[in-house]
Amino acid sequence: MARETTYLEEEFPSPMKQLWITFNKTPMAVLGLSCYLFLVILAIFGQFITPHSALEVGDALLTPPAWNDDGNLNYLLGTDDFGRDMLSRLVHGTSLTFGLSFLVVIFALIIGVVIGSFSALTRGIKASFLTHFLDVILSIPSLLLAIIIVAILGPGLENILWAIALVSIPQFVHVTRIAVKEEQKKAYVLIPILDGASEIRVLITSIFPNIIDKIIIQATLAQSAAILDIAALGFLGLGAPFPMPEWGSMLANSLDLFYIAPWTTYFPGLAILFTVVVTNLVGEGLRHSLKIQKDS
Amino acid sequence: MLIFALRRLNLLFFTLLMLTIVSFSLSYFFPGEAINNISGQINPSVEELAALNELYQMDKSIIHQYFAYVGQLLSGNFGISMANQTAISADLRHYLPSTIELCLAALFIAMVIGIPLGFLAAIYHNKPADKAILVFAMVGYSIPVFWLSLIFILVFSINLSWFPTSGQLNLLFEIKQVTGFKFVDILLSDSPYKYLAFKDALMHLVLPAFAVATAPTTLFIRLARTSMLEVLESNFIKAAKAKGLSKAKIILHHGVRNSLVHIIRQMGLHFANLVTVAMIAEVIFEWQGAGSWLIDSIFHRDYTAIQGGLIALAIFTFTINILFDFIYAAINPLERHKKHGA
Amino acid sequence: MKYKARLIKIIIPFYLALTTLAACGPTPADTIFTKGLIYCSEGSPSSFNPQLITDGTTTDATTQQLYNRLINFDNDNLERIPGLAKSWHVTRNGKMITFYLRKDVSFHQTDYFTPTRKMNADDVIFSFNRLIDPTDPFYQVVDGNFPFFKSINFAELVDEIEKIDDYTVRFKISHPDSTFLSNLATPFAVILSKEYSEQLMAADTLQNIDNLPIGTGPFKFKEYRNNAIIRYSKHPEYWRQDVAIEQLIFNITPNKTNRLTKLFTHECDVISYPIAQQEIRSRDDLMIDEVTAFNVAFFAFNTQVAPFDNPSVRKAIAHAINKEAIIKSVYYGQAEAADSMLPRLSWAYSNKISSIPYSIKMAKQLLADAGLGDGFSFDIWAPSVQRSYNPNSLKMAKLIKADLAEVGIDANIISYEWTTFLRKIEKGEHQSVLIGWNADHPDPDNFFSPLLSCSAMATGRNRAFWCNQQFDQLLAKSLLTNDLTERFNFYHAAQQILVDQVPLIPIAHSKRSLAKLKNVKGDILPPFGGVSFENVHKVDGSKM
Repeated sequence: MARETTYLEEEFPSPMKQLWITFNKTPMAVLGLSCYLFLVILAIFGQFITPHSALEVGDALLTPPAWNDDGNLNYLLGTDDFGRDMLSRLVHGTSLTFGLSFLVVIFALIIGVVIGSFSALTRGIKASFLTHFLDVILSIPSLLLAIIIVAILGPGLENILWAIALVSIPQFVHVTRIAVKEEQKKAYVLIPILDGASEIRVLITSIFPNIIDKIIIQATLAQSAAILDIAALGFLGLGAPFPMPEWGSMLANSLDLFYIAPWTTYFPGLAILFTVVVTNLVGEGLRHSLKIQKDS
Repeated sequence: MLIFALRRLNLLFFTLLMLTIVSFSLSYFFPGEAINNISGQINPSVEELAALNELYQMDKSIIHQYFAYVGQLLSGNFGISMANQTAISADLRHYLPSTIELCLAALFIAMVIGIPLGFLAAIYHNKPADKAILVFAMVGYSIPVFWLSLIFILVFSINLSWFPTSGQLNLLFEIKQVTGFKFVDILLSDSPYKYLAFKDALMHLVLPAFAVATAPTTLFIRLARTSMLEVLESNFIKAAKAKGLSKAKIILHHGVRNSLVHIIRQMGLHFANLVTVAMIAEVIFEWQGAGSWLIDSIFHRDYTAIQGGLIALAIFTFTINILFDFIYAAINPLERHKKHGA
Repeated sequence: MKYKARLIKIIIPFYLALTTLAACGPTPADTIFTKGLIYCSEGSPSSFNPQLITDGTTTDATTQQLYNRLINFDNDNLERIPGLAKSWHVTRNGKMITFYLRKDVSFHQTDYFTPTRKMNADDVIFSFNRLIDPTDPFYQVVDGNFPFFKSINFAELVDEIEKIDDYTVRFKISHPDSTFLSNLATPFAVILSKEYSEQLMAADTLQNIDNLPIGTGPFKFKEYRNNAIIRYSKHPEYWRQDVAIEQLIFNITPNKTNRLTKLFTHECDVISYPIAQQEIRSRDDLMIDEVTAFNVAFFAFNTQVAPFDNPSVRKAIAHAINKEAIIKSVYYGQAEAADSMLPRLSWAYSNKISSIPYSIKMAKQLLADAGLGDGFSFDIWAPSVQRSYNPNSLKMAKLIKADLAEVGIDANIISYEWTTFLRKIEKGEHQSVLIGWNADHPDPDNFFSPLLSCSAMATGRNRAFWCNQQFDQLLAKSLLTNDLTERFNFYHAAQQILVDQVPLIPIAHSKRSLAKLKNVKGDILPPFGGVSFENVHKVDGSKM
């Protein structure tokens, strides 16, 4: 923050504000962000606006999408083999696949940043142990780790969320640790230290404002990975139980209908793809703006 | 170089230590009795149970137990599968090579396609070619591999009938397993259909390898693009330009080599992702590899197999990581010297 | 330029290698692809010896491929025809059955066993003694766990098996039983090698008799990998005929969509239990084989409780159910409407028995006569799991509910988890139930005694809790004779009682089907006894 204004001639916008200004100039990133906000709204309110129930069995089995000759306008994206409206299920599923991934990432972010900053402050054997430990964890495939955790906890949506959160933490630790260390080397940090501020105070008041952009970028990466992992575990049958419209498990359940009702396979896949692309667009936009900022 | 190697081996040792501790503690985390989880014996008789307790020193302290466990691992005893009572080590010998084959093939494809595309994007920075490649990278990075695999099967197998969809080889070819690596085994075999089998195995490899390669390809595109851009903007390139070298020459002589160094440095870290993707693709393409075997074990609650699979897959990714570190050190003397100093 | 040259140096040999491989051409391929067949099956066998099991997946994988039986069923009329026994003779009192064996039958020669003699009486006696003699080491190695033979009380029925000479065996049984011969023709009554058993005794690896099989069938065992593949190869000295297929592979593919995909891509030549049959039929290179299986899905009333203690009410409901509609939407046409418990293929089936036609008018009339003209309400119990005779019981229940609404009856559908469901209906807690039966063998008795006899009421297997002395006597009489016309008449009369009394309504006999490439010729699906690749050959035309 611009707290140390005494040492500066003119006022600069905060790093986050600067980021926003450059971000706003990239149309793709803004498009991504608007879609992202749309998904957030769907995740929160989606289940209240669905035209049909996403869970209850309906009468019209395997109706093709509305643009098909046999389609029905009541079911815009068709129905599945239980007569459930695909559109309603997809909308409802937003809160599961997308919404839950968001929560998981926030959780992992908080824990990861705390551990990461403290590890950046430690030195010697403890630090070396931690680096090695992180290297090991990061070298294990994340899905494998998640699967192991699910094997311990047992399958189920809640358990895979814990698993994915635990798996995402090391990445935040890693990013925070490196970013903090990098900042510590910079000259501006020296000033509050010379003023006699404690390490933690320096960390919170001087370093965090300057690394928060990196953490947010890591958060978008972690979220796109979390969406894919939730969907993958759902697809493997380890995640959300049967009637829940989680996109990955919807896709898995639709496999038997692949040749009879291909739309039941296409739409959940497209939904996952769309969501991950949108999340990545936001992340990419942030990274891009950050780079422009650094260069200027 | 020696000290560098020692440091890496130290890291490897540490990793193995961590892994075995994790895997050992899993026997206590998993439901059921630790001795059953660790050995895989579901219903041992009283004598068998006593022998197992002796073998794993279950009556002694946890530290003793751990060393007994590591001792068993080192002697190649991973326990037996709780699902079908076969030796885990034999299963691993059978399944792991297939996974290695698939991962290496995918890595190769990702490099061959991703790196040149990334360079192209960097050279045509901010031009339509760059944008197109970036869009491709974005979609490829975001697409769920299980869905992509299904689309591949639909398009290339069902509609176009170009490639088979399951397994590693047409089952009618009877190839004796020697190394576990299908391609090696085929070449070693004395089957009259050797070359036909080899071609068939290649055809079987195409779809899964490309499905697995898609996400890493996009990573390579980004890496190659960023590092090439960095290199192109660095001072020595500016100097080369000033000397009057043509753009093509600069890129070939300086750009490619220097950015490859950057890429290889990153490659190791991303290999874990590739293995993750391969695990899912194995399930869809019925690839008889360690990934699909491991996922099957979870459904069967075969805890011994899960432990063995974890160790095997993690060691595999870690070995590849270290391998890339060595390659990086070999082509970038700077790194070795820095380590010398440190 | 240096780089480009280096790159080219790497690429060119790679390219050359690829093109040479491609140029190898299909010449040697013809034999390996046309002489080998891949069958994608739905599950792993639980054993390689059908004596130990009762499930269809295991019999499919073993019986017809690895083994032979003394007696077989004819594919067309399901009569008993000679197998390993050239002929047999039953004494007039029905208590002694003598088998005259073939002399030209050889056992498989494999990596683990080389036979020195042809099959003879010792092998037959060994195979059956194992099932009944608790002192036999091969009985003990599986704790006498022979579920099919236990269910028919085989050990109590057979008093003695006697060797008359090297090729003649005599069974002495405690009481006459006309299903005895049929039971010997079931997929479970296979003939094993005594010589092999001796080799296993010497090596003290008794359990291998069930894991590394030796039989006399058209194929011999080569390799098995759990949940992946069974590899069989042709038995060159097979006694019945020269087998065209040299390599038979069971590729275990539990996922039904994967099976279909692999059929579309020609990775499987034949697949079991195909889905999306319309799609298969629409393709030029594929076809579907189907047979009416020996099963029946039925709707049973608990005849102990009102209003179903009144036969007229039961009959009224039978009139009100539109079976054709059920065949169409529940079975998608993969079944035939049942007008008797017996499938049309059974020799005891008779079209002269009066049937109960679909007629709302007659149903209403009968209900009015019974004093229920204003309708009533009751519960239909339907299991939520898929059964081979009924792919979707709940859907069937919904259709019946709709049919009954037409005649003013209000039905509620009730379902439990499968084991709970079975336990509850065995106690008779239901009012009516949608369930079915898979026959163990094609003898008509198998459709009546286990399901509708008074003794089956005690075990709860009689879902209608219906006991009719006259009906029971007809069944018992039929078991005591071997004269087919006589038996036909008994069963005819018995079925007439069922039509009059309607303890249950037979609904459908579902078909068993498999899908295959059109260039696979020959019958694979016999109406009874799983799948058989003995008569199959492939014609050239579509290679991989």
